[in-house]
Amino acid sequence: MARPHIEPYVELDTPYKKFDVKGFKGSSYKVLSLDTDTGACTLKVRFDGGYKRKPGLSYSDMEIFVLNGKLKVGKQTWVEGHYAFVPAGTALGAIEVPQGAEAIVMFNDSEPGFVESGRDHPLTLSEAYTSVNSYEDRPWGPGNLVSPSVASGCMIKVLHYDPITEALSFLYCMTPQFSQDNISYHDSAEESYHIWGTSWMMQFGELPTGGYFWRPPYINHGAFKCKYGTIAFGRTDSVLFNYFHFNPWTNPDENKRRAAAFLYRKRPQLYNWVESDGHNHPHGPPDFENPDYVDDPQVRMLHGKQVGSKR
Amino acid sequence: MAKRVQDQKPARPADAKAWLKENIAEQKKRHAAIQKEMNEDIAAQREKWYAEFLQTIQTKGFNVTGDVRRVIKPSEVPKKPKRPDKVVF
Repeated sequence: MARPHIEPYVELDTPYKKFDVKGFKGSSYKVLSLDTDTGACTLKVRFDGGYKRKPGLSYSDMEIFVLNGKLKVGKQTWVEGHYAFVPAGTALGAIEVPQGAEAIVMFNDSEPGFVESGRDHPLTLSEAYTSVNSYEDRPWGPGNLVSPSVASGCMIKVLHYDPITEALSFLYCMTPQFSQDNISYHDSAEESYHIWGTSWMMQFGELPTGGYFWRPPYINHGAFKCKYGTIAFGRTDSVLFNYFHFNPWTNPDENKRRAAAFLYRKRPQLYNWVESDGHNHPHGPPDFENPDYVDDPQVRMLHGKQVGSKR
Repeated sequence: MAKRVQDQKPARPADAKAWLKENIAEQKKRHAAIQKEMNEDIAAQREKWYAEFLQTIQTKGFNVTGDVRRVIKPSEVPKKPKRPDKVVF
């Protein structure tokens, strides 16, 4: 299996563990979710004051969101709200943490790893590198980025967008007294960490500051309420489409069939072509615009195929 | 086949294998605890939340998209199936 359904998980009462893996010594971690096959994971990491690391790279795409404190990374200084997407093989500068910091750290393709290097790997897709202070350098936009859309009062800042899978990394917020009276599910897995604030979902109750979830596709969530406001970091692993409904008792299989029925009704030619004999390409049909997309690690992960070395 | 950095990853070293084994075992326990709490311990409370929701969509309405609402007729309200309700999988 990939990552199990972890929802809700409030990590604040869980103690940190010493991070005794190369490149992370001098820090501590908590696992928020972990892919049991590939080792891909989302961690909360505490970098103790005095933490230092030489320049180096990982063989996995990595994302980091700084919750508090300050990290010197090469010539940059990352403070709270800083977000970075570091493609596999892109060398980060030396890291120094003078007085301690906490961050959400995500390895998208394999377990945490580090190789000391002052240079990028020759195959790295360095153009995907992103480094931005999400609090100061990105505007809030309305949540109607996708349609059907969330209700007014849920806003979003897109931090990273994968053009192949349309996976998103983003900040979102809910205003005080936000409510949305529907049940939602998606074709994508969805992940969230509450930086501050408490929100409520009808299936799981309240998710407070430090609350986290990793939710596989087609699982009901909502209705939604938020009394005093919330700011959170979120991600999807592929395109985000809101399937809204009002039946609290449906299960993921029924939701998936309903999603397929949408496809049948709205893209009949495509549905018929895909389901017809000989067109059910197990390795993905050809795409003249992205001829190598089937080799993309994120696409392979989505289809449960091997990425990186075996166990 | 296009070459990717991820495919050049060296074999998993012993410390990484140990790290994974330990954390997979812990996650398994955490997942089981979450399943129990969500699927069993708060099930009665959730039934009340469902009942409130089904009332809300018949009065205030159901959010079709954004702030567009539709009031659901009593005949459209879903009936609870006989199978146990599950929210964490």
